[in-house]
Amino acid sequence: MIHTEDLTKVYRMGDVEVYALRDVNLAIQDGEFIAIKGPSGSGKSTLLNMIGCLDTPTSGSIFIDNIDVATLNENELAEIRREKIGFIFQQFNLVHTLNAVENVALPLFFSGVKRETRLKRAEEQLVKVGLGDRIYHKPSELSGGQQQRVAIARALANDPEVVIGDEPTGNVDTATGNAIMDILEGLNKEGRTVIVVTHDAEIAARAGRTKRMRDGKLLDEQ
Amino acid sequence: MRDKFLLAYRSIRERRTRSILTVLGIAVGIAAIVSLMSVGYGLEEAIGGELTGFADLISVVPGKISGATYVELGGFTDRDVKDLQRIGGIKDIVPMALAAAEVEYRDERIPIFIFGGDSKELGDFYVEPVGLKEGRWLRDNDYKACVIGDRVANELFDEVIHVNDKLLINDEKFIVIGVFEKASTLYSADVDPNIFLTLRAAKDALQTDEIQYILIRVYNIDEAEAIAEEIQDAINDNHGVDDFATAITMGSALEQIGTVFDIVRGVLVGIAAIALVVASIGIMNTMLMSVMERTHEIGVMKAIGAKSSDVLSLFLLESGMVSLLGGLVGCGSGVIVAKVISLAASTALGIEMIAVVKPAVLLGGMAVAMVVGVLSGFYPARKASQMSPVEAVRYE
Repeated sequence: MIHTEDLTKVYRMGDVEVYALRDVNLAIQDGEFIAIKGPSGSGKSTLLNMIGCLDTPTSGSIFIDNIDVATLNENELAEIRREKIGFIFQQFNLVHTLNAVENVALPLFFSGVKRETRLKRAEEQLVKVGLGDRIYHKPSELSGGQQQRVAIARALANDPEVVIGDEPTGNVDTATGNAIMDILEGLNKEGRTVIVVTHDAEIAARAGRTKRMRDGKLLDEQ
Repeated sequence: MRDKFLLAYRSIRERRTRSILTVLGIAVGIAAIVSLMSVGYGLEEAIGGELTGFADLISVVPGKISGATYVELGGFTDRDVKDLQRIGGIKDIVPMALAAAEVEYRDERIPIFIFGGDSKELGDFYVEPVGLKEGRWLRDNDYKACVIGDRVANELFDEVIHVNDKLLINDEKFIVIGVFEKASTLYSADVDPNIFLTLRAAKDALQTDEIQYILIRVYNIDEAEAIAEEIQDAINDNHGVDDFATAITMGSALEQIGTVFDIVRGVLVGIAAIALVVASIGIMNTMLMSVMERTHEIGVMKAIGAKSSDVLSLFLLESGMVSLLGGLVGCGSGVIVAKVISLAASTALGIEMIAVVKPAVLLGGMAVAMVVGVLSGFYPARKASQMSPVEAVRYE
């Protein structure tokens, strides 16, 4: 389970303090599929980065499985990112020097998994997202939708409990976006917690629960 | 670990042109060190090697040498030479008269240095290594005969001098019986601009009984230093002056040359060090650019679970590999450059010189390359590892 307590993030721009997040209290149950909706600048990506342990709060806390991640050091945060969380970006963010299977195997590399095991597991993940025939292609040789599927396979490489998507359908067409949402739904059915940030109402509607954000604040549930 | 190498290799290969330029930067620095040191050792060995052939020699001059200055205090007498014959361990004593004299050839008068000595000893000394182009060498009973150096024959006078031509030395008539070949660098100053006579003829022509130079050959090289002391004491006693004579063994001359070469090598290494500093700035620049370029990639790696130490080691490995390659290329090309330089120098200077490539120099070159590479890679690598993942991911 993930929950936040009075989560606040302040950016300082010269003399002005900008509240990206203001006293956010959110609880996400294990196995939930939740969408966070809101216009750009509403703070939804900041919230997602906090949950994904990419960023640390200015005040307040985030608990993942009852561990306050704000108290963890760099290496411990890296370990949570590696073992518990799979992150999917809007821009796919594949390493362009590596081919599909090597990209998927990268998190396993940082976990210290042996090369043969790693590549085998990565290949299985690629087959699972329907890219079994593209495993040796470089990102530049893949379409946007295919790249996002490689990114999903990479997010799943370490078999995480939580999958986080920051506008995962933002850079692909509607049909591909729906296909990606199908995959995420499937992951949720397997029992994983799926958290998606989007500004697309249709995409958000496919989640079990939707939260809206504006000006760094979480709005009441509809 | 193998995978990290692979990952670093991929990223080096991805930025091929820049990686090659960086490798070249280091290679030039290392090649400079390796080649300059090897040529330095080669030169030292070549000159030292020729001089060790003279290791049993002691030169005795009437004067005081301190540092680079030489103050001549007169000449030796026949009595000095006789006294030297009483010192044990001496094989040969070759007294020489030398001084400048007016030399006339076909109405041209030029001052030239005259060398007079025992014909057999002088012959052993110069004829064998230099060789005669024309005629023959002096004999003991040659009186009004001379042998001339290459410059005397071909350059000093308007007209070329040949065997059987006649010269006036201090207005006394001499016949040229031999002409030397052009001497190598080592002998050039001794032979090329000089005229050689028998000791008796030289004393007459120079109108002196004094001896300006005594060459001693000892039986045992190890005793040379002690004998040189004795020689100085004996001659100083005769003249009643403390520092009248200076006896220099070839051993001490060799030591001095060694010191000179240490300085030369130091300067060469200094030059090479500058090249290396430039190269290391190059590596740092390349690595910094690589870090900047890959900020996004670093962010992604961190987002999917890379620790700071993973990123640090990846970047260090990358600069390490680049510098290893630079070191190898540098050592290889340094050896080639050293061979080319020594070949060119051998031809130009007329001495046999072979570049001496010491394994220690190669190892040192590799070590320097690695240290420079890793040190200059460290700052960029650290910078990369300390990036905040969220900011790095956002960086485009």
